[in-house]
Order: sequence, then C-alpha cells, then structure tokens
Amino acid sequence: MRNTVKVALQGLDLEVFAGEVFGFLGPNGAGKTTTMNVLLGFVPPTSGKASLFEIDVRQPIARQRIGYLPELTYYYKFLTAEELLRFYARIFGLSRGEADRRIAELLKLVELEHAAKRPIKGYSKGMQQRCGLAQALINNPDLLILDEPTSGLDPLGRMKVREIIQRLKNEGKTVFFSSHEMGEVETICDRVAIVHQGELKAVGKVADISAGHENLEKAFLKIVGFETTPQP
Amino acid sequence: MNTTFALAGVVIKELYRRKDFYVLFVLSALLTLVSGAASFFHDRNIIGYIKDICLLLIWISALIIAVVTTARQIPAEREARTIFPLLAKPVSRWQLIVGKFLGCWLATGLALLVFYVFFAVLVGTRDGHWPLGIYLEAAWMQWLMLAIVIAMVLLGSIHFAAPSSTTTICVSVVVGILILGGHLRQLALLQPEPVQTLLSAVYFLMPHLEWYDLRDFVVYESGIVGGGPLLLASLYAAVWVAIFLILAWLGFRRKSLNT
Amino acid sequence: MKASPPVILFALVVLMFTLALQLDTSFTVARRTEQPKDVMGAVFGEGRKLFAEQSFTMADVYFHSGYYPSVFDQGAQAQKEIITASHGQKETEEDEKKEDFMGRPRDWVDAFGRHFKITQHTHLEGHQEREILPWLRLSASLNPHKIDTYTVGAYFLWEHLNRPDQAEIFLREGLRNNPDSYEILFELGRLYRDVEHDADHACNLFELGIKKFQAASASQQKEDHVAGEKLVVNLAYLEEKIGNYESALKWFEVACALSPFPDEMRKEMALIREKQAAAKKVQ
Repeated sequence: MRNTVKVALQGLDLEVFAGEVFGFLGPNGAGKTTTMNVLLGFVPPTSGKASLFEIDVRQPIARQRIGYLPELTYYYKFLTAEELLRFYARIFGLSRGEADRRIAELLKLVELEHAAKRPIKGYSKGMQQRCGLAQALINNPDLLILDEPTSGLDPLGRMKVREIIQRLKNEGKTVFFSSHEMGEVETICDRVAIVHQGELKAVGKVADISAGHENLEKAFLKIVGFETTPQP
Repeated sequence: MNTTFALAGVVIKELYRRKDFYVLFVLSALLTLVSGAASFFHDRNIIGYIKDICLLLIWISALIIAVVTTARQIPAEREARTIFPLLAKPVSRWQLIVGKFLGCWLATGLALLVFYVFFAVLVGTRDGHWPLGIYLEAAWMQWLMLAIVIAMVLLGSIHFAAPSSTTTICVSVVVGILILGGHLRQLALLQPEPVQTLLSAVYFLMPHLEWYDLRDFVVYESGIVGGGPLLLASLYAAVWVAIFLILAWLGFRRKSLNT
Repeated sequence: MKASPPVILFALVVLMFTLALQLDTSFTVARRTEQPKDVMGAVFGEGRKLFAEQSFTMADVYFHSGYYPSVFDQGAQAQKEIITASHGQKETEEDEKKEDFMGRPRDWVDAFGRHFKITQHTHLEGHQEREILPWLRLSASLNPHKIDTYTVGAYFLWEHLNRPDQAEIFLREGLRNNPDSYEILFELGRLYRDVEHDADHACNLFELGIKKFQAASASQQKEDHVAGEKLVVNLAYLEEKIGNYESALKWFEVACALSPFPDEMRKEMALIREKQAAAKKVQ
C-alpha cells in the first residue's frame, strides 16, 4: 500500500492590500485553514514563501502587528479573561499602563466586563468567542486574521462581529477572514478570493466576481463547479 | 525575556490552581507527622528516621510534580488548541520551549521551598537546632536535578505520543539513574564485550542525577558540601539543561501544527 | 427439553457453593504458614522477611552514619572477606574502621561523585545510637523471628543508651516470639547478672539457654557452637562467683569440650578445686 500525499495548496499566489477587508472563501477542505496556518507560521510551506508586512512569516516579529482569531476558540481554562489578556499584552511588550487601558477597553467592547475575573472554564461558547476576539485585538493590530469569526454565534453575536470588522476597516486596518456566510462576505468585504481543492479559482472585487450571477453565492457555486439546477 | 517570563508565569499559575501540589503536600505532611508521632522505646529524641521519611517523601513528591507538570505542557497546549493563539503572537518556538521549562522549574522550586520549610520547622522544633547551610545545599541540588529532569521531560513530550507515555518513560529513566547510575561502571566491568563498552558509554554519557541527592548529608548531619563541587555540579546541570532544551527545540521547530 | 432461567440460576448457585467449600478445604490443607496475626503480616505477607532484613540493614547504615556499601560493593566485599577468612585473619573493630569499601576512584565521574557521598567511616556514639532504634523496632515488627534484631537492640539499649529496662522488655518480647532462642536467653541472663545483680535468676536463664541449645539440631549446634560455648562458660563463671563450686566444675567440664581453649578451662577448674579445698578447711 503506497502512502498518498495530499496537496493542500498548489500555486497559491495572493496579495492583500493594506486597509482592505478581504474575504477568503472556499468549500470545506479547499485549503483555507492551511493557508492561514502557513501565514501564521504553524505549518512550513513545502515551496514558495509567505510574508506579513514584507517580513517572512517564519520570523516571529512578522506577527507583532497581527491579531488572530481561530475558528475554535480555546484558551487557558484556569485563567480569567483579564489574566489572559494581560498575558498576551505582556507578550506584545505593552507597558503596564497601556495594557490596563487596552484590557478595559476591549472587555467593554466584547461585553465581558462582568465576567472578567471569572475563570474561562466557566464561560459559555459565546463568551469564549468574545474573549477570543478581545485577545485578537489586544495589540491594536494592523492586520486581523479571522478564521470563520461568526461560526457558532447567534444573530446578535454575528452582528457584533460585523460591526467590529467595519469599525476596524474605518480605522484603516486590514482584515483577512474566511467564512461560509456569503451574505456577510458580500456586505463587508472589499475583495474576495475563492479557493477550491488547493487552487486559487478567482480573486477580485465582490461586484466583479458576482457579475453575471444572482449573488455571490451563485457565483461561488459556479466557480467551484457546482451546477445549480434551474428552478422551474 | 519578557515573553519567556510571561510564559513561565502562566505555568506557575496553572500549578497552584491545580490540586496536585496541595494533595502531595498534605499527604507528605500527614505521613511525616504520623511517623513522627510514633515512640520507639520511649525515646522522644529520635529524629533521624523522621528526616529520612520526610526527605524521601519530598523527593518523590517533587519528582511527581516536576514530571507530571512538564509532560503535559506542550501536548496539552496542542490538544486544547491553546498553542495556536499563542504562536500567532510574536513568540518563537524557542521562547515557548524555554518559557515552559522556566515555568515548570520555578513552579517546582516554589513547591520545594514549601516542602523544605515544613521539613526545617518540623525537624528544628523536635531537634532544637537548625543546620540551614546543609538544608539550603540539599534544596539547591535537588532543584538542579529537577531542572535536568524537566528539560528531559520537555524533550520527551515533543517526541512521545501522549503525556502518560512521557511520564512513564521519564520516571523510569530518572529512577533508574538515581538507583543504578553511580554503579553502572562497576556493573559494566563485570560484563563481557561488547556489553561492557556499551554500558561504560552510557555511564559516561548520561546525566548523573545521583550526584544531586544530598539527603544523607542532612539525615546524618555530615557537614556540608564544598563550594567548588557545588559550583561544578551547577554548571554540569546547566549544560545538560541546555542540551535537552536545544534537542527539544530542534524537534519542535519544524513540527507542523494544524488547526 | 430446555431448562428455565430460574432453574439454571439455582443450579449455578449450588455449583458455586460446592466449589467454594471444596476449594476452601483444599487451601486450608495446602496452607503451611500461619495466618498473619498482625497488620504487618497482613500487609506484607511473606515479603515482610525481606523488609525486615532491609530494616535491619538500615539500622547498620545509620550506625555508620550513611557510610555503607551498596549491594554492588557488598558483592566485592564478600569476595574480600572470603579471602581474609581463608587466611585465618580475624577483624577487629579498628580493622573495620580502616577498611575502605570504596577503594580508589574508578574514573572522573566516580571521583567527582564522592563529593556528594558520605566517605568517612564513623560509628554513632554519645547516645546518638538511639537513631538505629526505629529500624530495629520495625525489623522486629516485620519479622519477629529474627533473633539478631533483639540481641543487637538490647545491646545498644543497655550498653550504650543506659536503658536496661527497655532492653529487658525488648528481649522478653523476642523470647515470647522465639521461646527456643538460646541467644536471647543468654542476653537476658547477662542483663540479670550485670544490671539486676540477680545471680540466681541469671543462672536459671543460662541453664535454660543451654537446654535449648542442646535441644537444637546437630548441624545448628555446630554452626552456633560459639553461642553454646558462651552460655556454658558464663554459667560456669557465675556459679563459681556465687560459690556453687560443684556446679561450676560441672559446667567447666562441659566447656572443655566446647571451648577452643580447653587448657584455660582446666586451669580455672584447678583454681576452683583449690577454692573448694580452702572452703572445706575453714569448715
């Protein structure tokens, strides 16, 4: 029995510009998470290179100006939200005063002030997600990488996340996120890229990609090769 | 360094928020106090056996704390997925390894401090004198030994599948070295070749943890160890820690971490 | 015809009880050792003898303040003792102190490691011998049939720690557990002779000890001939001291056969006869 090698990404050539909200779309197993893993230095690329702010991703300093929210949010259960944020603030080299200020601000933003001194193990999924968002913003990042940020959230939570993304965009930050929620992507993204089976199928403005289709979802399905049956 | 100490701080918080340390301390204290309550031939001035029992319990407890705490650091981070938001920060894998090592070592050191204070108070109140010099030496040497063990376990945790296998293998190796390490050459010389060469090579290449056991000096009050040998033993420990940490880093740095 | 479940259950219960009765009988017959009477026996089983030996060794380790050969050193030491014994040399305590089981360092690891080991051969003294007592107590609890524990313990309690009362209690405990032990009877006899100054009681104990010795097997008598000789000689001297010259002569006669110095015994017998003659003249 021969070992088969799965190619997760093939010839992916992508550039995200400063200040834009970039949607990274694709069906399950398309290579979205692998792309993020490479960008964050979790997985070394077998060939080619990846950079953040023109710094090779293999250098830890490349991550000084980014914030990352994983799809599945797990944090140290024995820490409180405040302790977690203080820990990450220390990693970023924030001074005590600045860390205090940022932590207070973020806890208010994600509405976790009342639970800040409780261990995370007692948090609901939504609270953990909000805690995750706070840690992603602790260093006031210039680039935010979000992996399915609204996954598992209720409509109120999803709205809150959209508001935060919009606010960051207004501040000139760059947001790179993956999602399955086409409605969301259509609303907030400047540009999108669609990957399928490890290959980049399309990249461009939402309007350009949706042109000739009813909406982005229909365009997405067409691009990934799923032919929809015309309604009678 | 800030990052390394931040990582260490989280490990220390984890130790004192888990139950392990408290359970071991209470158990050790209870066993020691029960042994101390015994009367042998109506003589209340006997103290040697209490020291022996208490120090043995301290050694066992500290070893359990060190190995169990360290063995689960990186595997637990991966399993709980807390490693991803951590490595998404400007943290290098080397800093993670060193931070975990420092945290486990400092946490174990704090546990040792509590144990030795208990020991000193118990023995001092019964015995009437406080040979703090040898107590400090014994505690320092034990702490150094645990530094080597922690670095070894960290290396093991990178390569072995589960914390339980890391714990089992490392405890077996450590106990084996403590019991047999000093006598391996004697054993080797009795064997035919090539076993003799193999055992001799192991003897010279392995970390000699048995040097760090100064319990006999405490129990039998046989004076203190000189500053020169103590310094050399400290350097020896530092070298072994560096070797194990570098090997751990080499094994960890290219490992793929898939979210 | 199929049996119904209740019937099957009943049959199984009957079978179970039958087997239990049968097996219990078999195990009782097969069991050679007594049921453990105490916690130590129940917890450790037959392994308690090993632990008792280890505890006794620990007492020795404590006596030497930690300067003690490991099992590997003891193997080499045993070889040396065989060679020494075969040359007819007897070791004194001074010889023992001068002995260095460690020898020269084998290599740099051994040399450096000695900084962290006890390397001075010392014996506990000045009432510090008390530190060995817990281990002797433990050894006696684990194996009440180990005679050395009682005799060694009593020796230190009495001669070094000035606790003859505790020594007697310990020896009597040993005698309860080992009623045929002539070694314990000898030590008790010495205690009554030297501490209680009760010569009659001491004589009785020495005589009982001799009876126990003579009741032992021939091979054991041969192996322990020194113990037998000590009993007879001490009894003989004690009888002489309290004026029982006939009895003393009888025992010195027995001692001639046992002692490696029969001439000394005969000299003593001659002296006793002189004393006897002198006593008769006075009368």
